[in-house]
Amino acid sequence: MRENLGKFFTLLADELYHTGRYLRKREGVMPGAVIQQMFALGYRSFPIVALITFLVGVTIALTSAAQLRLFGADVYLADLIGLAMIKELVPLMTGIMMAGKIGASITAEIATMKVMDEIDALRTMGIVPEKFLMVPRLIAITLCVPLLVAVADVVGLAGGVLVGRLSLGIPPSVFLKEVFRVLDLGDFLVGLLKTMVFGWAVVVASGYKGFFISRGAEEVGTATTDSVVLSIALIIGLDCVFAFLPI
Amino acid sequence: MDIIRVRDLSVGYDGRPVLGHLDFGIPRGRITVIAGESGSGKSTLLKTLIGLLPPITGDVLLGGQPVDYRSEDDLRRLYARIGVLYQTSALLNSLSLYENLALPLRMHRRGQSSGEESGRVAEMLGRVGLQGSEAKFPFELSGGMRKRAAVARAMVLDPEIVFCDEPSAGLDPLTASGIDALLKGLCQKLGMTFVVVTHELRSIERIADRILLIRDGEIRFAGGLPDLAKTSDPYVRSFFLRTANP
Repeated sequence: MRENLGKFFTLLADELYHTGRYLRKREGVMPGAVIQQMFALGYRSFPIVALITFLVGVTIALTSAAQLRLFGADVYLADLIGLAMIKELVPLMTGIMMAGKIGASITAEIATMKVMDEIDALRTMGIVPEKFLMVPRLIAITLCVPLLVAVADVVGLAGGVLVGRLSLGIPPSVFLKEVFRVLDLGDFLVGLLKTMVFGWAVVVASGYKGFFISRGAEEVGTATTDSVVLSIALIIGLDCVFAFLPI
Repeated sequence: MDIIRVRDLSVGYDGRPVLGHLDFGIPRGRITVIAGESGSGKSTLLKTLIGLLPPITGDVLLGGQPVDYRSEDDLRRLYARIGVLYQTSALLNSLSLYENLALPLRMHRRGQSSGEESGRVAEMLGRVGLQGSEAKFPFELSGGMRKRAAVARAMVLDPEIVFCDEPSAGLDPLTASGIDALLKGLCQKLGMTFVVVTHELRSIERIADRILLIRDGEIRFAGGLPDLAKTSDPYVRSFFLRTANP
């Protein structure tokens, strides 16, 4: 356990160091790799993130609407959906989607490269694999998360608006006015910050599971599953930490 | 003149030596074969020689200078002087052959123009008989072609030493002999030093200028093919007499 924690935090420190160094010197990473990773990790995640956050928005709104109607507090559906989606559910669901889609693919790719000696080959070509493979992914996720969060915020709220209109008869303009009354820019930034931290956690956890498998090809599948579990555990743990912070 | 000198070297994993107290040299411009049965530790020794596994004790001297495995600068200098052909070829599957060969050039010769880069890639692919295959991906190639491409990549930066881990493993006899002929030809033509790890006796016969035979954690034989006939060590004789005729 202690050894694994040591490896994880060593990799985390390495990645921070390599990313800082790359941003200063622009070396050690294949030219065009960041754009390629933005497409692979970000662009391809948009549809599933949008779908899941929309469905979560609808589900939470439907479940809440029935209860709120009992107390005649229909309009507070907008407050509930706004706060829950923007500050909590969008970051959480986007993080979990990233763990399943991005994390699994990172671990599978790196673990396969390790089994096929490609990691050793990079090292003996004088290329640092932890930098060459991970830095473009970390930068790509940093650039893509704001866009993912923006899309997820919009479709998540859209789910609430739809249920509000169809189930409680709340006009969309009233719903949105109420949402923006209870939310300020800080709330959107908190959601963005949380999702960003979750994205970094997913990339580092997936890289850790990929780089530290032993040699067998049969372990690639296990490592991929483990990386998703680890990423989700980290996301929920970090979310809990955020909940204690005064933000 | 030895390009690599190994002094009192012990190598292994987690502090447990697989091979102990080795002393030998790798002559410049020749093919040295490290032979031994499966599990004898020859690949572990190779890992140490190519900088992937720090020795437990002892020194590896490259060009007379000891390599400090804890120093990133020393390892970078080592990697700049060697090329490695892996048993699995280890070409990056997500990159075309052109990109596989261009990768070391882009990382180490940053001022190089794209014309120089494509010229160098074409030249290296031509040397291994893969001219015109730049756009192909590794998964589109046969095992022998992948090995050839990996040889080209190992040599693209003009290293002083090329290390080969089981270059003919998994290949049919004809393709394997083609790879052996390629290595022998490149050594003779370019004067590069090759260190080849293998247990294929036919390969050893075809390419070895010098042989190091490993058994029970130590070197049981060091010499050329003609020296095999003079040895009285029964293990060495039985190892080579199984199919070869020293």
